[in-house]
Amino acid sequence: MLVTQPILEARDLTKRYALGESTVDALRGVSLTVKPGEFVALMGASGSGKSTLLHLLGGLDRPTSGEVILGGETISGLNDNDATRLRRDQTGFVFQFFNLIPLLDAAENVGLPFTIAGQDPRRGEAADRIQDVFELVDLRGKEHHRPDQLSAGEQQRVAIARALVNRPAIVLADEPTGNLDFTTGGEILEALWRSCAERGQTIVLVTHDAKAAAYADRVEVIQDGLIRDEIVLGRRADHTAAPLIARLAQLGL
Amino acid sequence: MTGLSRFAWRSLRARPLRTTLSVVGIALGVAVLFAALATDAGIEAGVGRTVDDVMGRSDLRVGAFEEQGLSAASLQAIRSTSGVALAAPVLEQRTYLQRDPLSTPDSTAEAYAAPVTVVGIDPTIDGSTGGIHQLLLASGRGLSPGSSSAALVPASLAQDLGLGVGDTLTLLGTNGPVAYRITGLLSGEGPDPTVGGRSVVVPLAGSSALFGARGASWVDIELADGGTPEAVSVALDQSLTFEPYVLSDRADLAASLRGSTVGFQALTALIAAVTLFGGAFLIFNTLSMTLSERVREIGLLRAAGTTRGQVHRLVLVQALILAIVGSLLGLVLGFGLSILIARTVGSLGDQGVPIDGPAVPPLGVVLAAVVGIIVTLAAALEPAIQAGRVSPIEALRPAYASRRSMVSQLRWLVAVVVTVGVAGLALWPIALGPFGLAGSGPDGGGLGRPFFVYGVLLVVTLLTPLILGPLGRLASLPFTIFLPAEARLSRGSLARDRKRTALTVGALTIGLAMIVALGGLAGSAHAATAAWLTDVIPGDLVATSIRPIAANEGVAQQLAAVPGVAQVSPIARFAVAFRGVRLDAAAVAGRDLASDGRLTFVAGDRRAALVALDAGGSTVVPQAVADEFGLRVGDTLELPIGGGEAVNERIVGVIARGLPGQSGESVLIGWSDATSHFGVLGADAFAVRFAPGQAATAGPALAAAAQGLALEPTPLSGIESAINDAFGQLFNLFDGLALLAVLIAGLGIVNTLTMNVYERVREIGILRAAGMTSRQVWRMVVVEAGTMGVAGAFLGCLSGVILGFALGGVTGLSSSGGGPTIPWPTIALAAAFGIGVAMLAAFQPARIASRISIVRAVQFE
Ligand SMILES: Nc1ncnc2c1ncn2[C@@H]1O[C@H](COP(=O)(O)OP(=O)(O)OP(=O)(O)O)[C@@H](O)[C@H]1O
Ligand SMILES: [Mg+2]
Repeated sequence: MLVTQPILEARDLTKRYALGESTVDALRGVSLTVKPGEFVALMGASGSGKSTLLHLLGGLDRPTSGEVILGGETISGLNDNDATRLRRDQTGFVFQFFNLIPLLDAAENVGLPFTIAGQDPRRGEAADRIQDVFELVDLRGKEHHRPDQLSAGEQQRVAIARALVNRPAIVLADEPTGNLDFTTGGEILEALWRSCAERGQTIVLVTHDAKAAAYADRVEVIQDGLIRDEIVLGRRADHTAAPLIARLAQLGL
Repeated sequence: MTGLSRFAWRSLRARPLRTTLSVVGIALGVAVLFAALATDAGIEAGVGRTVDDVMGRSDLRVGAFEEQGLSAASLQAIRSTSGVALAAPVLEQRTYLQRDPLSTPDSTAEAYAAPVTVVGIDPTIDGSTGGIHQLLLASGRGLSPGSSSAALVPASLAQDLGLGVGDTLTLLGTNGPVAYRITGLLSGEGPDPTVGGRSVVVPLAGSSALFGARGASWVDIELADGGTPEAVSVALDQSLTFEPYVLSDRADLAASLRGSTVGFQALTALIAAVTLFGGAFLIFNTLSMTLSERVREIGLLRAAGTTRGQVHRLVLVQALILAIVGSLLGLVLGFGLSILIARTVGSLGDQGVPIDGPAVPPLGVVLAAVVGIIVTLAAALEPAIQAGRVSPIEALRPAYASRRSMVSQLRWLVAVVVTVGVAGLALWPIALGPFGLAGSGPDGGGLGRPFFVYGVLLVVTLLTPLILGPLGRLASLPFTIFLPAEARLSRGSLARDRKRTALTVGALTIGLAMIVALGGLAGSAHAATAAWLTDVIPGDLVATSIRPIAANEGVAQQLAAVPGVAQVSPIARFAVAFRGVRLDAAAVAGRDLASDGRLTFVAGDRRAALVALDAGGSTVVPQAVADEFGLRVGDTLELPIGGGEAVNERIVGVIARGLPGQSGESVLIGWSDATSHFGVLGADAFAVRFAPGQAATAGPALAAAAQGLALEPTPLSGIESAINDAFGQLFNLFDGLALLAVLIAGLGIVNTLTMNVYERVREIGILRAAGMTSRQVWRMVVVEAGTMGVAGAFLGCLSGVILGFALGGVTGLSSSGGGPTIPWPTIALAAAFGIGVAMLAAFQPARIASRISIVRAVQFE
C-alpha cells in the first residue's frame, strides 16, 4: 500500500466549556489522522468527549486550542463563512436524532446540499447523484415520502443518503444507530459500510456500541477527553464484534 | 388556582419579547378605540357648546331667506306671537376692516387683511347682563341702546389688531368706510363661534350705516313659560306672512352640526375596529404559539393530574394578564392620541364644529377596556380549548408529530373572528348611544359600515390560508430569482403552520387595506373637488364680494374691460324654501354657462335649458336634489316668496353636479327670477374667464382691478387646493391611525418569525451542518418575512381598492360624484411600506436564527 496523505488530521485538540464559574475540559489534547477510504470508529463512555471531537472534526465548532486539517485546509483557522463552505463541500453529517426537515420530502432532504449551494436538485448531475444514493441506501421508491411517513430506520438512511450525496471527503456520523433496534441499526451500518467498501468513502463513526464499532477498520477509544487506545481491526467482511469485545475487555473497558 | 396563575405569569415572563409584543398589540387597539370614543365625546361636547354659543338661551330661531333679511314688521309679528317671551334679532354680514397704515404697526397687516363678521344685536335685549345672547366682557362697557357707533370685539382679535378699549375701528360698508368706537372687549370667541373669533359686535341700529336698511338675518326666540316649540311654530305660521322664513330649534342645529361630523366619526370608529381586529390576531397567534411550544409541558401537567378545566384557566389567565396590562397601557396611549387628534383636526365640517379635548368619557374608559379584554379573551378561547385537548401522552411524542387538518384550523379561525365580531356587535350600540354616533342617522349607516368592512376583511382573512400555497409561491417569486435556496426553504417554513401564517398575513392585509381604502377615498374626494370646480364654474377665477353687487353698478363691465378677459359671469348664492325645507339656490347666467360648455346634464336638453333659465320661470336642479325630492324634468318647484305667495319654477334640466351651497348643492335659477322674486340684490361672486393664452398676462391686471372694486380674486386652483388641504389634513390623521394598524401587523410578524425560528432551531442546525452559512440563514428568515410582506401587500391593496369603492359612496367624503379612483400612488406606497415593515420585522428573528449554535441545535433530543 502506498503512503497516502491523511484526508483528515487533528492536532492536539482541546475543548474547554465554561459553565458559569467552573469549566469543563471536554477534550484534553486529542490527535488523530484519518486516511482516505478509512472507516474509523470513536468509542467511549457517555460524556467522554466523542461528540465534541466529531463536531470539531467537521468544523461545527471551534477548538479551544489545536487544529483540524481537512483535505489540506486548516478548518479551525477559517472564518465562519469559509468553514461553512468547506463543510458543505467536504463533509457529510449524520446525527442521532432529527436529521431531516419535516416539511421536505425524502428527495428534497437528500438534495439539501445542492439547494443550499443554489443548484436545482431536480435537474442535471444533482438529480443523478440523488438517484444514485437512494439506490445505495436501498430506498428507491420512497423519494417523495415525507419524514413522518418513513420509519425511524428509513429516516436515518435518508440522512446517510444526504451525507453521501455530495461525495464529501469524509462522512461524520454521531451514534446514527443510537435509538434504533438491533436489525434496523444493522441496516444503517450496512449502508455506511457499502459506501466505504464500494466507493471508498471515508467515514468517522461515533458509537458506544461495540457491534457498531466492529464495522470499522480501526477503533479509537476515548476516555475523559483523551484517546486512551487504538484497536486496529482491519477491513473484514463479516463484522463480527467478538475480537473487538475481547480487546476492550483486555483494556478493562 | 394561585399556583396555576403563578405558572401563567412565569410562562409569560419566559418569553418577554412575545409578551411585550402582545401587550403592545392590545394596547394599540385599545388606544385607537379609546381615542375614537374620546374624540366622539369631544365632538359631542363641541356640538353642545356650539349650540349654546350660537343659540344662547333661545329655544327657536327664525331664519331669513332673503338678502334683505327679516323686516321690522316680521320682528313685530314674532314678538306678538303667543308663547314668545323674548325675540332677539341678529344681523350677520361679512366685511373687511380698513387699516390706517400710519397709526397701526406693520405687524398687524395680516390681522387686518382677513374678513370679519359684523354681528348686529339689539342692546335692549342682549348684553352683558342677560338677554338671549350673553356677551361676556373681558373689559370695558357693553353696548347701550343710545350709541349706534359703539362696537365690541373679542379681546384676542383686538390684540391681533393692536387695538384697545377707546380706540377706533373702521369697517368697510356698502357705501364706504364707517368708524366705530370700541367700548368693550369680549372674552372668548364672541357671539358666533363658527367665525373663529373674527367678529365685531355692533348695535343693530348701527349696522344700517354699514349695510343700509336691512333686516335681521335671524331672530332668536325664548319661549314663555308653558310655551312649546310646536305651538309657537304653528302660531308663527299664522302670524308671519310677510317673508318666507325657516324655523329651527336647538335639536335641529345640534343635528346639523353632528351631521357634518358623521363621516369623520364613522371612519375613526372603523379604524378602531380594524386596529382591534389586528390586535386580536396578535393575541391569538401569541397564545397559539405559546401553546404549541408547551405541548409537552402541558402534557406533563395533565399526566401529573391537572384537569382540563385547570388547563383552560391557565391559558385564559395568561390572556387576562395580557388583556389587563394591554388595556391599561392602551387607555394611557389613547388619551395621548385623542389630544393629538383634537390638536391636529381642531374643528370639523363646513360648520366648524370644534373638538373639545382632552375629554375623558368615563363610559368610554370602561368600554374601551372592556372591549380590549373581551377581544383578548375571545382570541384566547381557541388556544385555551386546544390546550385542554392536549393529552398526557403528548409529553412523550416527538415535537412535530401533531398536525391538525386545515379544516379544523379554519373552523377555529372563523369561530374566533365571529366571536370578536359578535362582541363588537353587542357593544356597538352602547358606543352609539352616549357618544353621539347616533347622529349617523336612522339609516343605520353608522353601524352597517364598520360591519361591512369587518365582513370584507373577515372574508379576505379566511381566504388567505386557502390561497396561501399559490399566493406564497407567487409572493416569493421575486426572491426566488435572486435567492433560490433561501426562497425555497422559507416557503416551506411558511407552509408549516398555515393558520399562523394566514393570521400574520391577514393582520398586515387589514392595515394596508385601510391605507389603500383611505387613499382611494382621498383620491375620489380630490377628484370630486376638481370635477365640480371645473364642471360648474364658468371661468378660470372667482372674484368674491362681501356685499351683493347690483347689475347696474357696472362692476362686471369694469372687470370685463380688463385686457385679456373674455367673459365675466355674475353668481349669487341664496336660499329658497321648498316643501318646508331650506334649499340652497344660485343665481346664474345660463348664457355664460352655455358658452363655456359647463354643467353636465343628465336629463333635459342642455342648450334649451340654459336659454330657459335666463328667460325665467325655469330651474335646473342637481341630481342630488332631484333624487332627494323625487323630481324629474317637467316637474314644477313651488317656492314661497312671502306674503302667502309662491313662484313656480319648472325643472328644465337635471345636472350631475351643482354649485356648492351651505348644506348641499344649489338649484340654479336665472338672474331675472332671482332679482324679481327672491330678493337677490346682486352678485356676490363673478366668475372670470380669460381669453385663451391670456391668463398669465391678464391675471395680475384683473387682480388689481378686482381689489380696486373691493373684490377678492381667487383662482380655481386656489379654491381646489384650499379644499384639498382640509381633506388632506383629515386623511393624514386617518392614515396615521391606519399606520398604527400596520405597526401592529409588524409586531405580529416579529412574533411569528421568532416563533418560526424557535420551532426550527434543530432544522436550522441541520441546515448549518449541511453547509448553510449564517448569512444564508439570515436571508432565509428575511425572505420569509418578505414573502409574507408581498402576500399581505397584494391582498391588502386588492381589498383596499374594493373597500375604497364601497365606502366612497357612503362616507359622504366624495359626495358630489367624481367616481371612484384607483389610488395608484397610494397602492405603490402602501405595498412598499408593508413589504418594508415586514422585512424590518424580520431583523431580530433573523439575527437570532443566524446565531443559533449548530452544536447545541443538534445535540439534544
Ligand atoms: N455546550 C456545552 N457546555 C458545557 N459542557 C458541555 C457542552 N457540551 C458538552 N459538554 C460537556 O463535555 C463533555 C463531553 O461531552 P460530549 O457530548 O462530547 O460527550 P459524548 O462522549 O458525546 O457523550 P454521549 O455518549 O453521552 O453522547 C461532557 O462532560 C459534557 O457535559
Ligand atoms: Mg454524544
